[in-house]
Amino acid sequence: MTKKDKKSFNQSLAEWKLFIYNPTKGEFLGRTAKSWGLILLFYLVFYGFLATLFTFTMWVMLQTLNDEVPKYRDQISSPGLMVFPKPASALEFSFTVSDPETYKGYIEDLKKFLKPYAAEAQNNLMDCTGGALREQNGPVYKACQFPVTLLEECSGVNDPDFGYSSGQPCVLVKMNRIIGLKPQGRPRIECSVSKGENTTLSLYPAPGNLDLKYFPYYGKKLHEGYLQPLVAVQLSLGASSTPKEATVECKIVDSPNLKNHDDRDKFLGRVTFKVIMHAQ
Amino acid sequence: MELVEEKGTVTPHEQYLSPRHRRRPEKGKTKVKKKKKKIDVEGLKKELVMNDHKLTLEELSTKYSVDLTKGLSPEEAQEILTREGPNTLTPPPTTSEWVKFCKQLFGGFSILLWTGAILCFVAYGIQMSFNEQSTKDNLYLGIVLAVVVITTGCFSYYQEAKSSRIMESFKNMVPQKALVIRGGEKVQVNVQNVVVGDLVEVKGGDRIPADIRLISAQGCKVDNSSLTGESEPQTRSPDFTHENPLETQNICFFSTNCVEGTAQGIVIATGDSTMMGRIARLTSGLAVGKTPIAIEIEHFIHLITSVAIFLGVVFFGISIILGYGWLEAVIFLIGIIVANVPEGLLATVTVCLTLTAKRMARKNCLVKNLEAVETLGSTSTICSDKTGTLTQNRMTVAHLWFDKTIYEADTSEEQIGKTFAKSSATWFILAGIAGLCNRADFKADQETLPIAKRATAGDASESALLKFIEQYYSSVKEMREKSPKVAEIPFNSTNKYQMSIHLREDSSQAHVLMMKGAPERILEFCSSYMLNGHEYPMDDEMKEAFQNAYLELGGLGERVLGFCFLNLPKTFSKGFKFNTDKINFPMNNLCFVGLISMIDPPRAAVPDAVGKCRNAGIKVIMVTGDHPITAKAIAKGVGIISEGAVTEEGIAAQLKVPDSEINNREAKAIVVHGSKLKDLSSEQLDNILQSHTEIVFARTSPQQKLIIVEGCQRLGAIVAVTGDGVNDSPALKKADIGIAMGIAGSDVSKEAADMILLDDNFASIVTGVEEGRLIFDNLKKSIAYTLTSNIPEITPFLLFIILSIPLPLGTITILCIDLGTDMIPAISLAYESAESDIMKRAPRNPKTDNLVNYRLIGMAYGQIGMIQALAGFFTYFVILAENGFKPIDLLGIRLNWENRYFNDLEDSYGQQWTFEQRKVVEFTCQTAFFVSIVVVQWTDLIICKTRRNSVFQQGMKNKILIFGLLEETLLAAFLSYTPGMDVALRMYPLKILWWLCATPYSLLIFIYDEMRKLTIRRHPGGWLESETYY
Repeated sequence: MTKKDKKSFNQSLAEWKLFIYNPTKGEFLGRTAKSWGLILLFYLVFYGFLATLFTFTMWVMLQTLNDEVPKYRDQISSPGLMVFPKPASALEFSFTVSDPETYKGYIEDLKKFLKPYAAEAQNNLMDCTGGALREQNGPVYKACQFPVTLLEECSGVNDPDFGYSSGQPCVLVKMNRIIGLKPQGRPRIECSVSKGENTTLSLYPAPGNLDLKYFPYYGKKLHEGYLQPLVAVQLSLGASSTPKEATVECKIVDSPNLKNHDDRDKFLGRVTFKVIMHAQ
Repeated sequence: MELVEEKGTVTPHEQYLSPRHRRRPEKGKTKVKKKKKKIDVEGLKKELVMNDHKLTLEELSTKYSVDLTKGLSPEEAQEILTREGPNTLTPPPTTSEWVKFCKQLFGGFSILLWTGAILCFVAYGIQMSFNEQSTKDNLYLGIVLAVVVITTGCFSYYQEAKSSRIMESFKNMVPQKALVIRGGEKVQVNVQNVVVGDLVEVKGGDRIPADIRLISAQGCKVDNSSLTGESEPQTRSPDFTHENPLETQNICFFSTNCVEGTAQGIVIATGDSTMMGRIARLTSGLAVGKTPIAIEIEHFIHLITSVAIFLGVVFFGISIILGYGWLEAVIFLIGIIVANVPEGLLATVTVCLTLTAKRMARKNCLVKNLEAVETLGSTSTICSDKTGTLTQNRMTVAHLWFDKTIYEADTSEEQIGKTFAKSSATWFILAGIAGLCNRADFKADQETLPIAKRATAGDASESALLKFIEQYYSSVKEMREKSPKVAEIPFNSTNKYQMSIHLREDSSQAHVLMMKGAPERILEFCSSYMLNGHEYPMDDEMKEAFQNAYLELGGLGERVLGFCFLNLPKTFSKGFKFNTDKINFPMNNLCFVGLISMIDPPRAAVPDAVGKCRNAGIKVIMVTGDHPITAKAIAKGVGIISEGAVTEEGIAAQLKVPDSEINNREAKAIVVHGSKLKDLSSEQLDNILQSHTEIVFARTSPQQKLIIVEGCQRLGAIVAVTGDGVNDSPALKKADIGIAMGIAGSDVSKEAADMILLDDNFASIVTGVEEGRLIFDNLKKSIAYTLTSNIPEITPFLLFIILSIPLPLGTITILCIDLGTDMIPAISLAYESAESDIMKRAPRNPKTDNLVNYRLIGMAYGQIGMIQALAGFFTYFVILAENGFKPIDLLGIRLNWENRYFNDLEDSYGQQWTFEQRKVVEFTCQTAFFVSIVVVQWTDLIICKTRRNSVFQQGMKNKILIFGLLEETLLAAFLSYTPGMDVALRMYPLKILWWLCATPYSLLIFIYDEMRKLTIRRHPGGWLESETYY
């Protein structure tokens, strides 16, 4: 009992073989076929029951949900700010003016993104009067038009390359959609260059206003065709002979209930991105 | 003294070796070094061979070149001392504190956690070198694991150090002195300076300073009980009386005690070469097996590692198929393996064992080694010493025979109760002889103690008589004052009687001669006998009655003494000078009064305890150095040989054939004599052990005790050995659990034992068995409880990989469960009372009844754990859905979800989330998952209380468990709601409703398990039991 006799390798191999298949007892992995059958049946029934129960509780839970508005919205009380297009990694736009391949992706993304903003796509949307919140009581919720032309140089109408080919790249800044969000004051996007000399910024629609008529948002299902307001930032990096680099920080200002500073969340009401323009 | 080694020349003493010894060393085949050590131990196991006791005094004098009157000269002594070294036992190689500490740190279960920790660091290293932005979860986990192991290691080290400190207190450090004669002068020297060849003198009360061959003795008696286990003092004289050095009269052994008389002798061995030294060496040379619980834990580790590696490899494969990179897959593999490690279990097991150890200490069982706590519970055989453990270790009057009637005296420890014909005139005379013809005396200043507890000076039998008379008749001191002794012939082995002449109590100035001694000798002196106070002439009828009584009492293993007296005629009135050398008075035609028999009686609680052991399926074997008849009598008295059981000798006597012709299968009980045991092969011994349920080994040597223990272990039994003497220590060490006696035990035996009975009472062992069995059951429950939550801890990670959903449960929350909320509830199960009478079932079979078996794993992982996991996932999906992420939209969301630059992730309602915002939701989900596990662990704890019974039968009496339930709930609430926890542990406050999501599942666990147990109770031995009863 106390001393384990060392088994030889062959012995333990034979033991393993016997464990895997024991012809005398007809056991496979220590169980007979009948035993395997019973235990598998048991677990089949058991798990079948559990799966049914789980599905049932999930179904009950989903029944309690409202299809239009999520039950709780306290986790997103204040919107984040994000740029478009999305660079592959981090928020770094990197391209070479003379090489269209380097910015082709950005341009395609922008075009795709702005498709719903094209004038012809907005025919069934309302041309709302701006300056005030547009609260609606349904049952039909109308969305307001956001003519792409508001983006001026960055609309892609005049310049299909969105300024990338001329060293004046456009980046769209948008505020995250949050159902029922009613910004106070006159929210507007304010951008500044924190790194990179001689870089100037142009905002469209100037001076980066987010019109209140686009708020509140009533959700994907009710608020069909909703277009979120955009602000385009165009950077003028100067002559393209030398590599240029600029870091731009944008944030929501002039609205007391939209936060633009949080220690942990670097995207709450603000966004920082970097543009690197390589030399020829 | 010399040792016969296996190799080397064959000496005439070869016959001492039994055939089995020669075959033994086969085991050590693999390693040469090991083999050598093995042989050494085997050599020690052999009977001692010495021939000094056979030498004449002249030969002895030449052999040790010593003058038998003057002794060695101081110079010679000094020279021998420098050559041979001091007369001390080499202390057993003590393991240094560091080694002990490291054993705690790296032994058994800790290895698993260490491996986990190392894997974590490896995973972190891989992540670091390929991706700087990686989370530090693996690093933290590794650190926490290491901290857990170190903390638990320190804790158990501290616990064991504490019990070894109690051990230290047993040792008395009084330096011993010895009286030696050197150069013709008597000098007192320290015992360690005694050398071989020294002429030493010992007297009553001394400790024998070395192994001594006597050259002269005056009424010398030694107490060899610590060496041989015989409770009676042995007479020592210069005569060679027996081949066996242990039994011959002319050898005294180191560290035994001289009880009375004086003796002179030549030292023939010192230090380690003494008998005692050899036993001590034999003890320390023995390989100690693993404790059963250590084996169980090892088995458990194997199981858990297999499950972990299986899961890890399967999901490694799956993640490769799903298109994850190799690196990620490796990280997953490590993550899954580590997630399987039950972090809190090591601490839980340690604490549970500690609690039981404490509880046992309160019941007088001091456990030296934490793991030994459970061993008693697994014990299937107890080899008990007789003297001191089963018996009280003091001679007590057991029976009286007078007026042709046997009267029973009370032999219990308390000495109250039973009466006998005290009014008979014969009794007064018998009591008078017993009190007066008696040299024993009470030591001074003990008036306050009960008579039975008082210390006496003198022979054990005489002391027994003294106490008996003092208790039942009157003050012996007064008797002796009233009838002063005028002459005396002390007892000696040739006379076999003791005679004293006293002045009569009445003022007749006459003397009375009183005599006691061996009954047959006493009868020879008598020509009349006393019946109810009247003298009748001796007749055949009386002689036959005497013979019958003598045989009956002797058959009870009692030492019988006969008593007679003679009123001396007037001619010998006061003032007569009695001469005991040249007898000048009549010493025949005495009047026979009666017999008194004595025994070292069994402890009162022992028969009951032996009975309980029987019920509990534990075989109790008596192993003693004492005579077979005494041993058998005591064995019958305490129930080791049950009432009416036939022994081999009994059958033989009935059929009037020699013992050897009896098929030993017919007899249930057997008394094996040491000399017979010596000639048995191991197969024969196994046969004896297997085919008899009631076994007594008498006249055994220490080596034989060891062989018996090994025999039992060979048959697969888990053996407990009790003992107090040095002679027991090899067996104590070899046993799965050695139990030493705290009061009577020698230091060597305490050192060798795993457990110490502080009250020397065999009955305490039964308590120990009960506690041991309970903790085994409760550890099962505790492990089942702890392991269950492993499934809801692993599945989130698995589904994270497979379904690409946000991680439902993070590392921190897992640790909060394992090391936080699960801890106290798991420990509280150690306080759970037994479900049924655990002392009525057979001891567990160490081969099949494992602590953790596949049924436990199946229950914990396959059934309850799965329900728990569903509860967690349900809560998780509820929270995400209520915040905008419906379950269907979560599938495959992982990459975007985990991308910290993806800050406009859209939910099912069209809202957009920043990374941090959705992480807060994710951590809220993890907190809720954690809370759900707590909620389902409520009922898991309740169902783990019992394995077969319903909770309604068991009740909720375990207060610690109720406290555990409250504690885990409060801790969960604390972790969730305390401000700042979002920063510290990333745990977020929950809405009250989210606590309720898991309750249906919690309820389901309870209902399912109650139904399962009901089925098991209704269909004992059915399929469900064979598959789910752990």
